[in-house]
Amino acid sequence: MTFVGLVGHNIISTIGRSIGVAVAVALAVMTVVVLAVSSSGLEHSAAAVISVGKADFTVAQKGASDLLSSSIDQGELNRVRRTPGVARAVGVLLATEHINADNPVFIEIGIEPQDLAAFGVTVVRGRPFTATADHEVMLGWRAASNFGLGVGDRFTANGTSNVVTGIYSTGNSFGDSGAMFPLSAVQAYNRLPGSVSLVFVKVTPGADPAKVAGRVDYDFPQLTTIRTANQFGRADRNIVFLQAAVNGSTALAILIGAVIVGNTMLISLLERTREFGLLRAVGWTRRRTVGLLLSESLVLALFGVVLGVGLSFAVASGLEHLPALRGILHVSYTRSAFYRALATALAMTLIGGLYPSIRTARLSPLAALSYE
Amino acid sequence: MSEGDRPSVPAVEVSGAVKVYGGGVRALDGLDLVVQEGEFVTITGPSGCGKSTLLHLLAALDHPDAGTLTVHGRDLARLHNLSRYRRREVGLVFQLHNLLPRLSATANVEVAMFGAGQDRHARRARALDLLSQVDLSGREERLPTQLSGGERQRVAIARALANHPGLLLADEPTGNLDSEATERIVELLRSVNASGITVLLVTHDAQVTAHATRVVSMRAGRVVDDRMMEPVRALGGGVAGRAVEG
Repeated sequence: MTFVGLVGHNIISTIGRSIGVAVAVALAVMTVVVLAVSSSGLEHSAAAVISVGKADFTVAQKGASDLLSSSIDQGELNRVRRTPGVARAVGVLLATEHINADNPVFIEIGIEPQDLAAFGVTVVRGRPFTATADHEVMLGWRAASNFGLGVGDRFTANGTSNVVTGIYSTGNSFGDSGAMFPLSAVQAYNRLPGSVSLVFVKVTPGADPAKVAGRVDYDFPQLTTIRTANQFGRADRNIVFLQAAVNGSTALAILIGAVIVGNTMLISLLERTREFGLLRAVGWTRRRTVGLLLSESLVLALFGVVLGVGLSFAVASGLEHLPALRGILHVSYTRSAFYRALATALAMTLIGGLYPSIRTARLSPLAALSYE
Repeated sequence: MSEGDRPSVPAVEVSGAVKVYGGGVRALDGLDLVVQEGEFVTITGPSGCGKSTLLHLLAALDHPDAGTLTVHGRDLARLHNLSRYRRREVGLVFQLHNLLPRLSATANVEVAMFGAGQDRHARRARALDLLSQVDLSGREERLPTQLSGGERQRVAIARALANHPGLLLADEPTGNLDSEATERIVELLRSVNASGITVLLVTHDAQVTAHATRVVSMRAGRVVDDRMMEPVRALGGGVAGRAVEG
């Protein structure tokens, strides 16, 4: 028999308790993973917004609750355009609308038609809307497919019926699932005249985007630049709050899991006190004895991770299809979510195992052998 | 064994050992004892006279409050690695076999060899060999609950011998056994002793004492009688050994 074999044997021979520990760890891991992938999905949705424009960086209002609430006036947009190193700056106004149960958060983008090409929009069918048209719209090809609409059909949004003048593609699923209107129309619908949500900036050839972004940050203290998804918190406080909630939940899961694991290990230690006393009496070192107890817990934690990740797939998928969350929650399974799950399980095992391990290490073989 | 034949380093040398438990109970009260290599010594005496305490001190499971204990010339108070000492120098057999209930007989023997520098194949081969020596061939994979009391104690003896100890300490190993099982255990301990291992055995049982080469009697934490014996040659006679004159 090997040490690993002994660990496995002990786990199997106390299968009821082993399953209990693994399930406890799995539930904690599942909670952490579901929160992480949900949060990650929201972050990716937000990241998708800035990647629509294929810009070097995006400018938003600093400290806005979310990107859709960002507000930049036309004057600031024009000054950004004049910043050295800026080749072009496209201002867009983002809005969402509940179209139907299948499209509870339909994205609407207000943009000047002359900026479409610069924004990375390709009109694949029909023609662009005109700048001053009140009731014209272009649908992303995904949206058109979803609604079963084509050029010349009518699409009702913001309480008005609009003629679909064209179908566009941005190469971005987020952008292709929405609709584009003349900027002035979206400003009017949302009572935000002269305002845009985001400015998509392309720098001049040879210019360093980071330096140009730094210049914009310096010149416009009320605005902020975003070059990567990690910088979203600058303009989207909801993401920051969500990340804080995920971190807090992870800490709570570790704490609760550690108590469960620690309690189970302690019960195991009390039940097996004579066993550990005997092992010490026949020459096992403290380290090996503690190692046996901890190894059993770590193996159960790893089982818990596998089970928890499996459960998280099922739960996250179920959440995505809940009527209240359909179209809003898009889970995104990232590597970091699984690393977080593994770290959570290891942390709860090590923290929970600390006290039982210390007690095991301090066990007097003689006292343990006479333990009833 | 004559005085001139004795090796220079005793297997066990206890000098002025004192052990006081809580409440002022003096389990050992200045005990002196020398056991030579290869002896089969039984320690007898009334309950509470300190017999088991002496064994626990020699097994390095406890520390004396005063006095010195040396095993094969090593002062136990100066040992830095007690685990290594317990693993390599002494073998322990308890009154209650103390087998791990979820492990087979073989695995119970093998766990004593963890950390002794043998791979799993060598551990298993040694365990099977020892179980064969204690006449448990065919029962190697049985759990303790599937073995009789005597068989469990034989597994415990096999475990105690796993790492080739020079000293076997047995605390009432036949205390819970019937007469027939006791005879088999005593026979086994005699063969262990015949292989050169010093045996120090605590017992109340005259059937066991009859087979010792030396009987030490204790009372109130001290040795009160110490005599060499001519052990009974045939087992099952139920006759106590004769004291050797002089």
